[in-house]
Amino acid sequence: MSLRYMAKELYYQRRRTLMSILGLSIGIALLIVLNSLSLAYRQAAHVPLKEIGADITVQRSGDVPKELAGPVFPCSAVTIRKEEVEKIQKLPGVRGIGTGLLLWVFDPNRAWIVLGIEKENSIGPSLLRSSVTEGRFLEDGKPEALVEQAYARQFGIKVGDTISVAGKKFPVVGFVDASRAAKIAVANVYLPLKEAEDLAASSKELQSVSPYAPGDVNLLFIKADQEKITGLASEMKGILGEKATVATPDSFLKLLGSLFALSDKFTLAASLIAIIVAVLIAFKTMAGNIAERAREIGVLKAVGWTNRNVVSQLMSESVIQCFMAGILGLLIALVASFGLSFMKVNIPIPWEMSPTPHFLPGGGDQIFKTLRLPVHVPWNLAFFAIFLSIIIGGVTGGLLGRHISKIKPSEVLRHE
Amino acid sequence: MSKSTILSGTGLSKKYGDLEVVKGVSLTVNEGEFVCLVGKSGCGKTTLLSLLSGLEKPTKGKVSLDGREITSSSEDELSLFRRDNVGFIFQSFNLIPTLSAWENVALPLFPIKMTNEERRRRATELLGKMELGHRIEHLPSALSGGEKQRVAIARALVNHPKIIFADEPTGNLDSSTGEAIMGILNRLHREEGVAILMVTHEDELAKTANRLIRMKDGEIVS
Repeated sequence: MSLRYMAKELYYQRRRTLMSILGLSIGIALLIVLNSLSLAYRQAAHVPLKEIGADITVQRSGDVPKELAGPVFPCSAVTIRKEEVEKIQKLPGVRGIGTGLLLWVFDPNRAWIVLGIEKENSIGPSLLRSSVTEGRFLEDGKPEALVEQAYARQFGIKVGDTISVAGKKFPVVGFVDASRAAKIAVANVYLPLKEAEDLAASSKELQSVSPYAPGDVNLLFIKADQEKITGLASEMKGILGEKATVATPDSFLKLLGSLFALSDKFTLAASLIAIIVAVLIAFKTMAGNIAERAREIGVLKAVGWTNRNVVSQLMSESVIQCFMAGILGLLIALVASFGLSFMKVNIPIPWEMSPTPHFLPGGGDQIFKTLRLPVHVPWNLAFFAIFLSIIIGGVTGGLLGRHISKIKPSEVLRHE
Repeated sequence: MSKSTILSGTGLSKKYGDLEVVKGVSLTVNEGEFVCLVGKSGCGKTTLLSLLSGLEKPTKGKVSLDGREITSSSEDELSLFRRDNVGFIFQSFNLIPTLSAWENVALPLFPIKMTNEERRRRATELLGKMELGHRIEHLPSALSGGEKQRVAIARALVNHPKIIFADEPTGNLDSSTGEAIMGILNRLHREEGVAILMVTHEDELAKTANRLIRMKDGEIVS
């Protein structure tokens, strides 16, 4: 193989070199962009759960009491027993659990959505600690309340006021901005878990449809090994029964509905098509180029180049062209990904995960988590694309080189 | 085969389908001899040259080059043999358009392990002998027909061949340039002692050779 010959061939035959490079680079760029986009949707689908520090959320649907008075469970989140929580905690792949108790409280002149939260836990609604906008977070063992900022403004509640929830008084110690926090399990009032448990345990209406004992919860936030999430989801359904609602990043991905979000199979199929198109373009362009050089190959063989010499020369030219196409394709993909990263995506949060009574203002509205699509080209994908380009170059050059090297010099050098 | 015989073809025939282009031809070329193969277009001269140089295999007969029977050699063996022993000059020059004059001359040396400086030195020296020392970096497209053929002659010499096969080397040149090329070939033959087997259809050019072989309808007639 002569590097000098290769460089001159590529340089002086700029037009055909550029055609080969451009053709393949479009295929490579397509491959990278499709995969980056698919990855971005996957990452976006993680966001609603990530914001609450979890990989999986678990609820169980049930019945609502006939009469809505005092504390009741929303129909999408009824009792999950303490023993069931312990079983889930022991499942291999579960790294941690956060709990919550969501109640609808119907007082004579006001309805509250109340969430009982753990004081300290990096998983679940305790993360609200970072969303306190005024006052302070809940302290251990004290019957006190945090009020959602917009709700407080609407009803003129101030820090230091005392609110009455199901007949029990709670001093308001702070406000939280729910719009900055997760969109899952959003409430008007946040109480220490123990206080919410007492409210639930003492509610006859609630006990009549969903027997409850302190220690039970109705929201589970689970941190899990990424590769075990799908398996864990079905095991949890096995523990909690048919009425369990298990939300995972995949279930959010399905809600997104985009072709890229629908399945890995679509991305795989689209990537394969992109690669096949890229290979065909490279093959066709290079086959044309090499056919034009039949006479030149005849000269090489006449002056003493072996078939192997010819093949390695053509292969090196092809590898370099495809490598350059890979680099160009990567650059195109980087620019395209940058452009696509300005796209916004609305992830619908199912009503069941943040239930609001339908008869309250805005109760039936669809909640969305809106974010910029996090499109970027990961290094491993970039390296794979370059590596693939080189392989395409090697295979294309090798096959075409082997074919053309069989040419008989006497056939192509016979003068006119 | 005598000691001084460099090339020998015995009973060579070449058929393309039913058409027999070369019919049982036998000939020899001695070391340092300048032999001209003449005949009208289509009489089988170029095919015979291809058979004798190992570019093509005969349907029948044998070829020995420098004492080695090459008819049964594989294609790659023939390539390597040509690289070490044979030089070619073609009517249409057959230079690589993307390579400079010196790189074209060094083309047979590219697959050989040697430094680029050495390749360039050998090519430049030969181009100097062809009075093209000032054109070494020029592409073929910037050279005249005569200059291109002189580059081709230098390429034929770069591997120190024992024999040069020249197929109508002046066919694409005007008469004065053709005469100049013939002058170079005669000088090579005289000074370097390299054997030359040249194909031409011009009797006038053939007169400068040591021996003239005339072909007609695929056979040697004199």
